[in-house]
Amino acid sequence: MSAAAGAVRARRRRKRLRRAGWNAIALAVFAAMVFPVYWMVATAFKSDDEIVGLTPTWLPEHPTLAHFRAAVEKPFFWTDVKNSLIVVSVTVAVSIVLAFLAAVALAKYRFTGRKLFVVLVIGIQMLPQTALIIPLYVVLARYRQVNALSGVVLTYMTFVLPFSVWTLRGFIIGIPKELEEAAMVDGSTRLGAFVKILLPLVAPGLVATSVFAFIQSWNEYIFARVLLNDQAKQTVTVWLSYFYGTSRHIDWGALMAGSTLTAIPVVIFFLLVQRRIAFGLTAGAVRG
Amino acid sequence: MRSRVFVALLAAVALGVVAATASAAGSRQAANRLTVWLQVDAQSGWPDVVANANQQFERDHPGWTVDVQYQNWGDHLQKLDAALAGGTAPDVVEMGNTEMTKYMAAGAFADLTGSKSKFANSGSWLKGLASSATYRGKLFGVPYYAGSRVVTYRTDLFKKAGITKLPTSLAELTADARKLLDRNKQRGFSPIYIAGTDWYVAMSFVYDYGGSIARTSGGKWYGNLDSKRSIAGLNAYKQFFLAVSRASKTTDEIHPNPYDVYAQGLAGAMLGPSWFSCCVGKYKNVTAQFVMPSHVKGQPMPGFLGGSDLAVPVGSSHQSAAVDWIADFTSTESEKALQAKGNIPNATNLLGASVNERAAARSWFVPTAKHWVDVENGNILRNMLAQILTGKLSVKQAASSASDNITRVLNQS
Amino acid sequence: MLGSRLTPDAAIAGARPGPRRRVSRARVARGATPYLLLLPVAVAIGAILGYPLVDLVRLSFQRYGLFELIRHSGSWVGVANYSSVLRDGVFWHTLLRTVVFTAANVGLTMVLGTLLALLLVRVSAWARVVLTAGLVLVWSMPVVVAVQVWYWMTNFQNGVVNYVLTSLGVGDFFQHDWYATTFSQLALVTTLIVWGALPFVAITVYAALAQVPHELVEAAQIDGAGPLRVFRDVTVPVLRPVLLILTSLSIIWDFGVFTQPYLLIGQSKITPGNYLMGIYLFEEGYFRGDYGRGAAIAILMLLIVAALSVVYVRRMARMGEEAT
Repeated sequence: MSAAAGAVRARRRRKRLRRAGWNAIALAVFAAMVFPVYWMVATAFKSDDEIVGLTPTWLPEHPTLAHFRAAVEKPFFWTDVKNSLIVVSVTVAVSIVLAFLAAVALAKYRFTGRKLFVVLVIGIQMLPQTALIIPLYVVLARYRQVNALSGVVLTYMTFVLPFSVWTLRGFIIGIPKELEEAAMVDGSTRLGAFVKILLPLVAPGLVATSVFAFIQSWNEYIFARVLLNDQAKQTVTVWLSYFYGTSRHIDWGALMAGSTLTAIPVVIFFLLVQRRIAFGLTAGAVRG
Repeated sequence: MRSRVFVALLAAVALGVVAATASAAGSRQAANRLTVWLQVDAQSGWPDVVANANQQFERDHPGWTVDVQYQNWGDHLQKLDAALAGGTAPDVVEMGNTEMTKYMAAGAFADLTGSKSKFANSGSWLKGLASSATYRGKLFGVPYYAGSRVVTYRTDLFKKAGITKLPTSLAELTADARKLLDRNKQRGFSPIYIAGTDWYVAMSFVYDYGGSIARTSGGKWYGNLDSKRSIAGLNAYKQFFLAVSRASKTTDEIHPNPYDVYAQGLAGAMLGPSWFSCCVGKYKNVTAQFVMPSHVKGQPMPGFLGGSDLAVPVGSSHQSAAVDWIADFTSTESEKALQAKGNIPNATNLLGASVNERAAARSWFVPTAKHWVDVENGNILRNMLAQILTGKLSVKQAASSASDNITRVLNQS
Repeated sequence: MLGSRLTPDAAIAGARPGPRRRVSRARVARGATPYLLLLPVAVAIGAILGYPLVDLVRLSFQRYGLFELIRHSGSWVGVANYSSVLRDGVFWHTLLRTVVFTAANVGLTMVLGTLLALLLVRVSAWARVVLTAGLVLVWSMPVVVAVQVWYWMTNFQNGVVNYVLTSLGVGDFFQHDWYATTFSQLALVTTLIVWGALPFVAITVYAALAQVPHELVEAAQIDGAGPLRVFRDVTVPVLRPVLLILTSLSIIWDFGVFTQPYLLIGQSKITPGNYLMGIYLFEEGYFRGDYGRGAAIAILMLLIVAALSVVYVRRMARMGEEAT
């Protein structure tokens, strides 16, 4: 066996060891991050006595579905899940399309008023949302958008749009100039080239942004609460608030079960798009 | 050229979507629809009472429908403010009795003085509730129901500690608590669980010793916690708390829920609303209640009379229908049904002999000042109690600083 | 010239002089393109937020309490709301507390988030999937729910945190009161906010890392650059726009944060002694029903956060110029 081959093998072993070390760290981080989530799910499966018990148990001793049943049977669960899905999908779809257009304009064109628009987009996000509740309500009431899902969609767009424009712009700027130039030299037309070259390159950014927009609007509570009065028209976070908004007994188990159910659609959405993020690395390298 | 068309097309599509969302169905108030905001307690506790009132109303008013929308205590005022600003307030709204004054003073509610006779038992409404719905001699709300605070206790532990008869004075109760403590050495065990900053309990001591939170003189409000009697009450509270409760000295009566501590087996008794007995877990069969005794033997300690009123926002375009619905919902029959669910009915002639109702015989209420709710929400009392119990400040120092604060807040323009 | 320039066009302009000599109609088209692209967003935001923003500014110069709210009309008081806020000692204490709080939260979020993203690149594929899934689980938790869980884990009676710390022998944490002091309260809020923000930062930075061209990394490595140099010279330039955006967004969010501290500390423990700006605004302006003063606080907050993030925004703008 030659010395060179031995050295190669030693380097490979070192590399494997290092990777194993990183993996171990990743698992530790995973455990620490996920513990609160685990605690929520575990509590949802525990019996009432076990939940208030003085010594916490790591695993439910007598796992029960009673809390999940109570949550699902609570009035308006399915209606409100449906409402949330409608609000979120419309908000995300419309926002991402509009934001992408604006982001291209900001990142790739120079024009008068560009700076003003950037300042506006950033400035809007600096406004404390609590301050906007009443002025926004008054406007929406004027357009008969109170107690309507469309009013909530419009409201969500006001904070999802600036954010999305802002982040997508960052992703578009991050694309190395050489790639675009290469595409142009290849003879593509102006915007056609953009769409062909930009879209695949920006895909991870689009996905990350839409995941964010999805989660942001799925989890929003304050505006939905103020704008929607009718329980049949509310979103699922508002539905959840009825667990702890009573002056009476708070059913911790059912609250945790309801919370767990509320989180599921986000996880599903992510699973649907995670390939784009998880394999974004390679996608970025292949670059058409 | 192609790119321009493409951009224009995308923009058009995008705008179309925005327009479509914007014009989707909004809520249009039907002419004959009465919108009612009730707290969620009614939905989980007595939906049948609501349904009966609605039926009655719809029978008497053909063509009308009642739309009851349930709200949460946590943010219902924020919602009400927004709705008042947007001109979309409901026709009837349930208010906590300590929340009424601010809104009455601002002219948020319709004057119901002329309709008073339409409401059942309006001549004998509970004083605590009726006064919370009255501002400058006019009636702006209808008492809905009340709740008082009692001692919920473990009969088995009391028996084991050799307590054979229920205490009739504060001193007896404190002695009983000592006995309970001797028999239960478990760490964290409270003979009588009270959350440190539970101001409803603490102020009951103040009123029991003849003190008060604030007094009025010459049209001006003055904080009164630094008066001699109030300080005596606060001292008594401090001593009682330190002797009987192992609760956090800085926490309120929701974090944790006292009944959760009780269900953990960590309390021999707890002070709070009578419905606390709902949630005691496995101790259901060894749980009973008695009236909190005063420091004067044989008397009950005055308790805070919590409750709800029903009001009609001025913006409502169905004010007379709203009055009719309230009359149906607070009828003798309705109130009796509420009583059966463990609440105190709104009138003295309906009162029974339950512990809850006996405790209501001596009660106190917060100052009916326009800015009272700012004192409550500003946590002036809770902050004072935390300072007293942790020993950060002496009772006198804490009380006089809180008193000054109360004077300032209550006299804001 | 219409003040508009399509970048790639200009980039090629030297190589192919063709477009320069085209008729002006093409220029007009180019001039209109960015505006057409911006139009939908501008219309959407303008239509929904335009009036509320004007309204907010108007309110800040009016006496506008519950009484005025019901009658839909306030009375002009000039700058009285602003001067009352600026003369309020509570405002300045709160501002200082919030700046320190924001610095701690943003710093922790950005450093830990970037480290997590770099970790994601280094681990095996399966570990990456596991870790990303975990991050998304965390991310998917609604804030209101996370607050409940946090409270549940740290509660005085039987919080699992006290139990674990006691079991580990860290000390006697039986019924330790995590909500007893302002520092302890805000430290808990910090853990909650950083925990909740990490997934977003980590996943976004990770997505941005995907844009780092492999060839460049390899070329640098062949040139003998160590991992630190590769990171500094190849990775950071690509990440910079995203990192800057994330930092400025974090500053904006953390400075005005409301839900987490308000719900976790709990309304009943909120006093001027532990206010953050978002809570100050809500308590003094809205909870008390003094909407004019609330509007003034909101506008002051806007100005302050603008001042705090101006460094980032200006660097952003400069970078934008470089990129175009």
